[in-house]
Amino acid sequence: MNEQPRPLYWLFLSLVGLVISIYVLFPVFWLFLASFKTEAELAQLPITFWPQAATLDAYTALFSDTHQKGQLLDWPQLIGNSFFVAISSTVLVLFFGTLAGYAFARLSFPGRDLILGGLLISRMFQGAALLLPTYRLMSMLGLQDSLIGLVLLYSAFGLPFATWIIASSLREIPKELEESAMIDGATRLQSMVKVVLPLATPALITASMWHFVGAWSEFAFASILLESNEHKTVTIGLASFVELFTLEFQYVGAAATIVALPIMLVFFFGQRYFTRGLLAGAVKG
Amino acid sequence: MLRSDRLLAYAMILPVVIAVLAFVVGPTYNVATLSLTQVVMGQERGFGTLGNFRALAADPVFGLVLQNTAIWILGGTLLCVTVGLGVGTFLAIDSRMTGWLRALILLPWVLPDVVTAMAWKWMLHGQVGIIGQTLESSGITEDTISFLGDPDLVMWMLVIVLIWRKMPLVALILCAAIRSVPDDQLEAARMDGANAVERFRFVTLPNIAFSLTAVTVISMIWITAEFALPWIMTGGGPANSSQIMATYIYQQSFEFFNWGVASAMSVVNLFMLASIVALYLYVNRRSWASEELK
Repeated sequence: MNEQPRPLYWLFLSLVGLVISIYVLFPVFWLFLASFKTEAELAQLPITFWPQAATLDAYTALFSDTHQKGQLLDWPQLIGNSFFVAISSTVLVLFFGTLAGYAFARLSFPGRDLILGGLLISRMFQGAALLLPTYRLMSMLGLQDSLIGLVLLYSAFGLPFATWIIASSLREIPKELEESAMIDGATRLQSMVKVVLPLATPALITASMWHFVGAWSEFAFASILLESNEHKTVTIGLASFVELFTLEFQYVGAAATIVALPIMLVFFFGQRYFTRGLLAGAVKG
Repeated sequence: MLRSDRLLAYAMILPVVIAVLAFVVGPTYNVATLSLTQVVMGQERGFGTLGNFRALAADPVFGLVLQNTAIWILGGTLLCVTVGLGVGTFLAIDSRMTGWLRALILLPWVLPDVVTAMAWKWMLHGQVGIIGQTLESSGITEDTISFLGDPDLVMWMLVIVLIWRKMPLVALILCAAIRSVPDDQLEAARMDGANAVERFRFVTLPNIAFSLTAVTVISMIWITAEFALPWIMTGGGPANSSQIMATYIYQQSFEFFNWGVASAMSVVNLFMLASIVALYLYVNRRSWASEELK
């Protein structure tokens, strides 16, 4: 691909690039703009692109008590719940994923490859077919309207991939480092925590970011399990605007911006780690 | 030493194994038994019947669901891979702009489904949606089209949104594959007088054939698992015209409490998934778990 930069070729590149950028960015940007418009402006035709009288009213409404009379959910609560579920399950996944990842990478035991393969394949079945039995299971355990239940579920869903990411990165760390630590009198757990894990930090970051994004964004299982308003998460809150049948898209825009923001931050600041996991994850479904 | 290592290993993987058994394998088994049980309003009344499957097959919506699911999975995969190949080929060009685009294009992939669904639901809105309005005001259509309200259009609209969401990763994987095609092979073909299209057809394509096959099968798995997008955008409507397996299962389970039919459909869905996964394992037979780890 060592083409000499010719004007026409350059023009072609830029044009296609521009079209792709607009295609990718427009839907997100459009909702973002809506969050600053007024209800009147959103209902009027022809459609305006930039907000004519930019206002933060939609955000204030989502965060104020006065607007919760059956119409809007309590957004500070939703955000708190989502952070609670995403962060707690990330911590669990990181802890147990590291333990298991270490075992799969470093110890040899009968059935190792088969079990790891089975764990990875289990990811592919986490779809709509499991909605009903999961609901039944959670009701049986008395966890159907509980954030703790959701934390356990998300952890179980996220563990196989985290384990795999961590295991593949641990395999690349030379065994000798650990062996010399153990010769110096460290136990296996000590050598794992002090010698191996610091070297695996990038994989641990990748695994956490991936899990956080997945848990924050999850909708289907949260929507069947969480019943009371004080337990709902942001994705449920955003989806609830569908039922309102209104043209108040400023709320949809503001809520969508709030839901997307943490993900965008993770994406832009952790690009390096994220892409790594993305390409690896792709290979494993 | 070795024995204790082995015990330690099992202890370390135990939580993960238990979690997957409890929340994936267990529920799979549970829904399979439920599908063979007569259920009346959430009450189990006797095991060992194919009644749920008969009821499912007798449901007038069933045929439509199968047809829509086929459009969703096959149409979605085909378009995802074709568009992804085009975009991936473009992204593989060396330039600062494509390098920047390679990062940007992942945005639709990381965005929560619910955000994507809301954004597109509004853009495709029959009265105030920007797509319909733009088409009308530029004179391409006479009236604004109700994209999600038209039974003939709605399924394809969902597929278009699906492409927006899933294509970027396909493009990126194929882009990586294209960039790893050996330069000397391309150079040799150029020397022999092959033009750009011939170089793509006879050098690039054979080199990325494996990635292309693998990504096609993986796309099928992703698309089969996708639920929030169609559910939030249309809820299966209007009049079931965009009902796919995933939305049907949800609706039967949690809106109609028709657990028998829902579990039967879940089992059908699991069988479909299992066959795609089998295809995936077959395609990837040379590079599965352990080898990949080394």
